[in-house]
Amino acid sequence: MSPTRSIAIARTTARLVIKDPSVTIIMIVMPLIFVGFLKPSLEAQLQQQGYAGVSGAQAGVPGLAVMFAFLSIQTVCMIFFREHFWGTWQRVRAAGATGGELVIGKAGPLVIVILAQMAVVFAASAWLFDYRVTGSMLALGLLLTGIALSVVSMGVLVVALLKTLDQAMVVGNMSGMVMAGFGGALAPTSTLPAWAQSIAQVTPTYWGIEGLREVGLDGAQVADILPALGVMGVFTATCVAIAAMRFQPTDTKVGST
Amino acid sequence: MLVIEDVSKSYGQTPVLDGVNLAVPAGRIMGLIGSNGAGKTTLISIAAGLITADAGTVRVGEGRSASVDVASDRRRAAGLVGLAPQELGVYPMLSVRQNLVTFAELAGMGKRATRERVDAVVDALDLAPQLAQRADTLSGGQARRLHTAMALMHRPAVLFLDEPTVGADVAARGAILDVVKELAREGASVIYTTHYLGEVSDLGADVAILHGGSILLTGSVKEVVDAHAAPSVSVVTAGVPPSLPGWRPSPLEGGHTRWDAPVESRTANPTAVLADALSRLGAGTTLEAVDVTPASLESAFLAVTGQRLSAEEVPDVAHA
Ligand SMILES: Nc1ncnc2c1ncn2[C@@H]1O[C@H](COP(=O)(O)OP(=O)(O)OP(=O)(O)O)[C@@H](O)[C@H]1O
Ligand SMILES: [Mg+2]
Repeated sequence: MSPTRSIAIARTTARLVIKDPSVTIIMIVMPLIFVGFLKPSLEAQLQQQGYAGVSGAQAGVPGLAVMFAFLSIQTVCMIFFREHFWGTWQRVRAAGATGGELVIGKAGPLVIVILAQMAVVFAASAWLFDYRVTGSMLALGLLLTGIALSVVSMGVLVVALLKTLDQAMVVGNMSGMVMAGFGGALAPTSTLPAWAQSIAQVTPTYWGIEGLREVGLDGAQVADILPALGVMGVFTATCVAIAAMRFQPTDTKVGST
Repeated sequence: MLVIEDVSKSYGQTPVLDGVNLAVPAGRIMGLIGSNGAGKTTLISIAAGLITADAGTVRVGEGRSASVDVASDRRRAAGLVGLAPQELGVYPMLSVRQNLVTFAELAGMGKRATRERVDAVVDALDLAPQLAQRADTLSGGQARRLHTAMALMHRPAVLFLDEPTVGADVAARGAILDVVKELAREGASVIYTTHYLGEVSDLGADVAILHGGSILLTGSVKEVVDAHAAPSVSVVTAGVPPSLPGWRPSPLEGGHTRWDAPVESRTANPTAVLADALSRLGAGTTLEAVDVTPASLESAFLAVTGQRLSAEEVPDVAHA
């Protein structure tokens, strides 16, 4: 593994993201719109749960930020598949890049992009909707980092397993939605059927959203979110391990079947 | 130096390359020619380390000891090899400069060296006015030149250009050929594929004909043409048919007839063959046209690969 080449690939990835920020912007704006119109009803729910006088954003932002982070699996798929359409994938390989260097160079900057995307959603919510962090900011940062790593590693896994962009987009978006659903982005996990609640226990979305809610509402500290970080770590490691077994830089990837 | 030894490759059950041997010394250009599907791109992809051969080896660099096996030492080989694939490969949303910088960075070039090299390469390929332009707004020929330029950034010792002049205009083609010649002068080994065989002569390149899975022959353009092609002579007449024994008549529109000189006579001096034919035209025969086609790499290629322009227009290999 050559750091020089990974960094070179990462630079190109960053240039590409900067040149085409539309999806990233959508993934920031959409959760903010949803928080905007769910806020009153969330406030009522919070009141019932005993959080009187708290902004509805405290309940809404975690789930929506995490949901749109997981919908950004498509950004990960795109960044890989487009190199194939453009014919640049094989050129980068001819320049000596190994599979590992390609994955680190393409996926690494996206961890930062998705982390930044969520950070902007939280910051904008603080400004627009009186979102407040009652717990540790470090805990918030660690949770967001764990979520960004989970999203990108799952995206890399989707890329490793699927041959066409059509498949990757469908599988990526569907699984992102489903995981967000189990995790409590649509309705609190405690209101889901029992079987769904047990599945939720192994999803990074559930632990991420719960952790973020606790940091926002219950003054959670780093020690309180360690289990959440553990689950995200295991999820990320599993995705990376399977992807590493299945990822072949020589595979041709195409647009549709 | 590039040495390809006994390279074979099948896709599934279909063999494409079957024992290819080819060596390109430093400073030489090898024009690799072959029909569509002959396996040129496959061979180049193997030699550039993109796909693995079923058998055989490819080494780049100088001498046995210092040369690098492309398949087993990817890292070192990549530093020595440059590839401009047949399919266009540029980042559409990046500028010309960013595309070039990307490949300089991949090769580990420093900032200053990169800047100088960008200037040199765009100058040579006439892309300086487009430096800040996005690649997806370039014309087809400009994009093709950028595509080639990206392979040259790190001054590769071995350069593979797979049909680099497709879609290039006369000036662009000239620029690309000049750059290739310049790289060879600097000591690079170049493999150049094209279906415009005239380019091979223009490059002063050697020829390798890939056919049926292996290299049928290699040599200078002159050697190949002299050995496998001959000039052809024909005349077009009207009126009373002349007596041209052995010449093959074919009727044309307007009562004209085209006469092709016999295959055997084509190795002889075409001027003498023509003079003899003209002397045989009797009164009442009108000469409408004469045509002497010099021996060309095209006709040699078709002869060697057993193809024809049209029936009997090119002498059979066995007769030539
Ligand atoms: N990935 C692949 N799978 C199956 N067959 C392939 C594959 N790649 C190439 N082929 C086949 O191998 C043969 C050689 O293809 P190749 O692209 O090397 O030819 P070429 O000489 O470059 O042709 P052209 O002049 O058209 O570019 C063709 O018959 C092609 O259909
Ligand atoms: Mg080809």
